[in-house]
Amino acid sequence: MNAIAQPLKKANRLKTSSLNNKMVNDYWTDVFNAKAEGKLVCWYEGVAINPLMQAADIRWVHGEAWSALLAARNNEQEAQTAAEHRGYMKELCSYARTHIGCGVLAQNRGVEASGSSFSDALGAGKLGERIPAPDMFISAYPYCSTGQQWDEMLFRLFGKKVPIFNISVPWVWGNKPDAIYLGGTEFNEAKQYMVKQLRACTKFIEEQTGKKYNWDSLGEIMSYTKTAGRLRMEAMELCNAKPAPASFFDWTTSLAPVNFIPGGPGIVEYFEKTKAEIVQRIADNEGGIPQEKYRLFWDGIMNWNKIGWLANKFANYDANMVAGRYTHMGFWHEHESIDLNDPLEGMAVNYLVCPINLSAPLMIEQIIKLCKHYEIDGMVLHAARTCRAFSNPQYLIADAVQKRLGLPVAMIEGDMVDESFYKDELVNSRIEAMLESIEARKRVGIAA
Amino acid sequence: MSIDAIYSAFERAAEQPLESAKAWKQTHGTRVVGSFPMHFPGELAHAAGCLPVILQENHEPITVGHGMIYPFYCGFTRSVVDQACKGDYDFLDAIMFGDHCVQVLGAADVVRAKLPNTRVHFYQLISSMSDPWSLGRARETFLNLKEGLEEMIGHPIDEEATHASIRLFNKNRQLLRKLYDLRRAGDARITAKQMQILVKSSMVMDKAAHNDLLGRLLAEIEKTKAISQRGMRVYLSGHFCQSPKIGVLDMIEECGGIVVDDDLYHGQRYISTDVDETGDPLDALAKWYLERNLKVPCPTRVDQNADWENYLLDAMERSRADGMIVLMAKFCEPHMYYYPEIKEAFEKRGVPHLLIETEHELNSFEGLRTRVETFLEVVKRQSAARRIAA
Amino acid sequence: MKNYVMGVDFGSTTTKTVILDLKGKMVAACVASKGSISAEGVQVSMDGALAEAGISRKEILRAVSTGYGRRMIDIADQSYTEITCHARGAVALFPQARLVIDIGGQDSKVIAVGGDGLVSQFAMNDRCAAGTGKFLEALARAVQVPLEEMGPMALAATEKLTISNMCATFAETEVISLLAEGQSKPSVLGAVHAAIASRTVGLVARVGMREPAVMTGGVAKNKAAVQFIEQALGAKLLLPPDPQIAGALGAALFALDEVTTPGAGVDEEDQADDTMLIARGCATKPCQKPKEVPLVGPMR
Repeated sequence: MNAIAQPLKKANRLKTSSLNNKMVNDYWTDVFNAKAEGKLVCWYEGVAINPLMQAADIRWVHGEAWSALLAARNNEQEAQTAAEHRGYMKELCSYARTHIGCGVLAQNRGVEASGSSFSDALGAGKLGERIPAPDMFISAYPYCSTGQQWDEMLFRLFGKKVPIFNISVPWVWGNKPDAIYLGGTEFNEAKQYMVKQLRACTKFIEEQTGKKYNWDSLGEIMSYTKTAGRLRMEAMELCNAKPAPASFFDWTTSLAPVNFIPGGPGIVEYFEKTKAEIVQRIADNEGGIPQEKYRLFWDGIMNWNKIGWLANKFANYDANMVAGRYTHMGFWHEHESIDLNDPLEGMAVNYLVCPINLSAPLMIEQIIKLCKHYEIDGMVLHAARTCRAFSNPQYLIADAVQKRLGLPVAMIEGDMVDESFYKDELVNSRIEAMLESIEARKRVGIAA
Repeated sequence: MSIDAIYSAFERAAEQPLESAKAWKQTHGTRVVGSFPMHFPGELAHAAGCLPVILQENHEPITVGHGMIYPFYCGFTRSVVDQACKGDYDFLDAIMFGDHCVQVLGAADVVRAKLPNTRVHFYQLISSMSDPWSLGRARETFLNLKEGLEEMIGHPIDEEATHASIRLFNKNRQLLRKLYDLRRAGDARITAKQMQILVKSSMVMDKAAHNDLLGRLLAEIEKTKAISQRGMRVYLSGHFCQSPKIGVLDMIEECGGIVVDDDLYHGQRYISTDVDETGDPLDALAKWYLERNLKVPCPTRVDQNADWENYLLDAMERSRADGMIVLMAKFCEPHMYYYPEIKEAFEKRGVPHLLIETEHELNSFEGLRTRVETFLEVVKRQSAARRIAA
Repeated sequence: MKNYVMGVDFGSTTTKTVILDLKGKMVAACVASKGSISAEGVQVSMDGALAEAGISRKEILRAVSTGYGRRMIDIADQSYTEITCHARGAVALFPQARLVIDIGGQDSKVIAVGGDGLVSQFAMNDRCAAGTGKFLEALARAVQVPLEEMGPMALAATEKLTISNMCATFAETEVISLLAEGQSKPSVLGAVHAAIASRTVGLVARVGMREPAVMTGGVAKNKAAVQFIEQALGAKLLLPPDPQIAGALGAALFALDEVTTPGAGVDEEDQADDTMLIARGCATKPCQKPKEVPLVGPMR
């Protein structure tokens, strides 16, 4: 294996991805036009609370999504530099730095002007400046203290003048012996606590809009979300086929519709088409990469600067990244728990069991289930330098899959949207070592 | 006991906290409950007849711990993981904690995995301090903690015992605050190192024993006249979960700085606020928890009623400090997030400050010395200019 | 007759000595490179300067030392940090300067200065070699180009490449893989210099950009480094004819201050006035912060 040569084989990406691009572009265009159309704008990060805003006709800016978009379009530098100039250090969450940097840019040019001038296609000029300034913040960050503080610092950056609502998401730890995934005394208490806060949040939204909260609209939005969540999970579960018809990288590019795209027929249609493509590929025996020799699991958050690069890199190794914690353990994956007549509790459940908010023992059980379902040969753990929320349990996860499933692992260092933490040479040698180890096991018949 | 002997007793506990707790356990037969910094009340564990000990970063190089946690974590987190991996915590009867900094949560998972036979309990403190439900939620959390302790000891915690523990802890804070007052006023010469070991030992020693030693120290200090000192008055800010290295404190003073005040966790932050001694103890603790953040604001909390930067500017005025040195533990996310607010406020007010990043692995202070010396040169010139202008 | 003052900058890789006459005219400057903190280097540098001036050590009225090894020079009457001295030296060379960017072998610093040549803010690199002369040295080795040729070669870069790692070790592997991909040495070296520039911009950000800016230190002799930093900052840099001696010059000027107006420098003679007396019952005066105090901010 030549570490330096250009990949010869490329990932066979899902064709439906192009539909996703259009939805993402439309969504951001709506965001940029929010002020011109007289809509209120909410900034938030973390779990997908956007249906709460959508039901009240508020436009929303999801901090991570925005930072990831800037990175994916090589447009993150200006915002990151603006943040650095205000004194935010490089070891801080790169999503937060990028997003706060946009806040700094907004401050620099005067809040009033924000967003209104944009009517052009995305990608041109200073993208970081196009984000409309917030009319409110809603903070609902699971597990990661950075999340809550990120919102707080934005709140302070905007002079403590923009109203903020804090939802405290308890970590699913499990002091009591009855603690299980989705159950036990503490989980049930946490769920009720979340519902109470979500309900209070709708009151906060009413205060901002001056209108009665539209519960019917929330139910309708959540019906699309629930269906999209189900279709996505079904499509992903079909990828236990060999060769797997799609990869983790396809699923990362398909997160937007279950993360921040408005709930509506569009997201349902998207996953219907995605699932149909998966079914067709299985019928045609077509894989997500040209030749599937190894089936891998990706633990950790995505590296948005390198998504295409990594997809092709693994394709070139004949390694299909079949599943991942990020994609498979979050984003309305517990769609069954959503009761459309009273969706708050089901929403709370999905927020509580998102891919970072489970303590290690509970999380590891879910990961092991996935590794078994997808017949995984090895695990890549992406240690995102500035995302300790994702990096925290990785040694425990690696230990568990090595001991319980006999899987070789490779830990690679990188980041979400800060390219400078990615070290390609190390990545190559670690992945190659893991693949050699899988190979050795296959030879002596250890692996299935 | 001479002053030196008293300080040595404090220093032994501060420098060898686990050994000191282990010895206490052996001689007194009490359970030892470890906790992570910074907001967890020891009063309830004490009322349950246990010795509460705040787990500390130690001075050992991190070795096996790096097999369980990445190197890009703060020194406290890595050191705690390392100590757990080395079996240092095996003698603890329980670890109970409530703070939510994401790095500490990572350590908690590892600690629980390494101590399968120890109760490692998390009672998550609400970190958003100004919500309508903040007080109620804090009380619920303390109730859960009380129940967890009761389950361990097998009987209910007596309310009068809780009041007694609160009084004892209050007394400890008051004695330590008195020492701060004496230093600020120039009535006692207490170095930064000495102040640290006074507070740090309080985190790990039995409070009654600590109070006794503090009483003796105060009596000795009253007897002696403070020697006048020359130097620039320095305010130290920052360093939360981990105590600043003694070498850094000594270096600052060697360069001609006189540390007159601080907001360090191993300092004023720990002792700032007392708990109401009457009424329902859980109500009192919940109230204490929220009030504490107004007394000395903490960047790990979000609080619309507190502004750390303004607090620091006021505190500098109160202690007549000439400059502030910010000690930032490398990779400390809460501090890194808040720092730009401080920087901006201090620049706007024209108050000089110096930011120093510290690390667990930092053992040579020469590189820092250049910065501290230059900073003190600048501060000296500016305070002279101020004096001339005044 | 003692008619001269001397400044010695005992740096990590070189020692610089400047001798001034009592009118402030530079009569000698000598740079000696003898490896890390070498006493021999100090001797060579001082002897060289004395020889150049044609005087003996006895004729030095006062000497001030600076740099990493400043406390190891026993003939010095006084020592100041290199930050203070670089600022003073740079402003002596360019009185209009308000920002000094000094990139030496072991560290890099950005200093904001007042019209009096005194520091108002500063920022320094942390312990790692990123953005220092050492970084360039390590990467010159990786590209197998003599250090003094790397600058001119980088100016001939045709491709715009990036090295994202600031850590010299990892940057080295990046450089090696760029070369293995078949990228030309000039283009790879261009990326190396761009990396230095981006690190410098980060330091400037901590202090705040001010103009005009002077660049001092050994790296200022590297034309490519200067050009890349100018591009990254969007500003022209003022360059002294001998950028390495600014610190020694500053030290010599502090020595001269002591001779011409004793007590004028920032040293212990004025401490009695300056310091706050801490004694029982003494300090009651509230802290005063008049408006005319210059802004002083982040220093690290």
